[in-house]
Amino acid sequence: MTIVEYFSFLPYGKYAFYVWLAYGVSAITVITLFINAKRNHTKTILSLKNKFSINQ
Amino acid sequence: MWKWIQRQASPKVFYGTCSRLIPWFFWPFASLLVIGLFWSLVISPPDYQQGDGYRIIFIHVPSAILSMMVYAIMAIAGGIGLIWQIKMAEVVAKVSAPIGAAFTIIALASGAIWGKPMWGAWWVWDARLTSELILLFLYLAYMSLNSAFDNPRTAAKASSILAIVGLINLPIIHYSVKWWNTLHQGYSVGTGGLKDPDMQIALAIMFIASIFLYALLVAIKARTEVLVREQNSRWVKDEVEGVVS
Repeated sequence: MTIVEYFSFLPYGKYAFYVWLAYGVSAITVITLFINAKRNHTKTILSLKNKFSINQ
Repeated sequence: MWKWIQRQASPKVFYGTCSRLIPWFFWPFASLLVIGLFWSLVISPPDYQQGDGYRIIFIHVPSAILSMMVYAIMAIAGGIGLIWQIKMAEVVAKVSAPIGAAFTIIALASGAIWGKPMWGAWWVWDARLTSELILLFLYLAYMSLNSAFDNPRTAAKASSILAIVGLINLPIIHYSVKWWNTLHQGYSVGTGGLKDPDMQIALAIMFIASIFLYALLVAIKARTEVLVREQNSRWVKDEVEGVVS
């Protein structure tokens, strides 16, 4: 049994593996972008806060 | 309107604008994404040739268009930064690069996954695919050149020139399916490629959602970049100390 057949129980049957893989890869990429952007912002604010409190 | 645009050249004003715009980008993006996914995966009928396999088009085409659009915006913003020395344009150019690279990766990955069942191969050295891969390398080159300098102004100058030179690749990608006899199919939009109205609506909604996604990510990333660049100004200090975390 190939992986394509294994996933054929999902909607879109013989194309299920490909369609969901494509949507999954895209979702992961977009979510990574968001997490990365948010984390960078929080990190920057924290490091600037540190810098300002040391200078005072 | 023109006055408003001019005022955005000030880092403090631009930071405030980005903060205010984030919900205006997020909610249209989120709602259009939900509607668009429903339209793409449920409402649209199967294709007469490709069955349900064609549904990858609803992420492949918007991300491919965005990968080129973001590159054009990045090069134009970089050019504005070079010519008029507007630092905020440099910020937009810099933060656009990773977003554009991500769209390019989505376009290439979804294309490869689509290629396997339809062509029997994940990858072929076809003109369209190769020129899109070069676009990814241009983004990566831009990002590494930009991070190679300590001074953000010098970095922006060097990388903007690279971005502008790389613009030549955009018409090559666009016309590649016309100029060369490619395995990649022809245009899906505007030339009768996609004929079913439900498919067209789904594609349009996903495309508009992608534009909002890009704008949203630029707004989030630009705020971080402005804080780093302007860390010696008084308003950044006030802003950072006002944030409770």
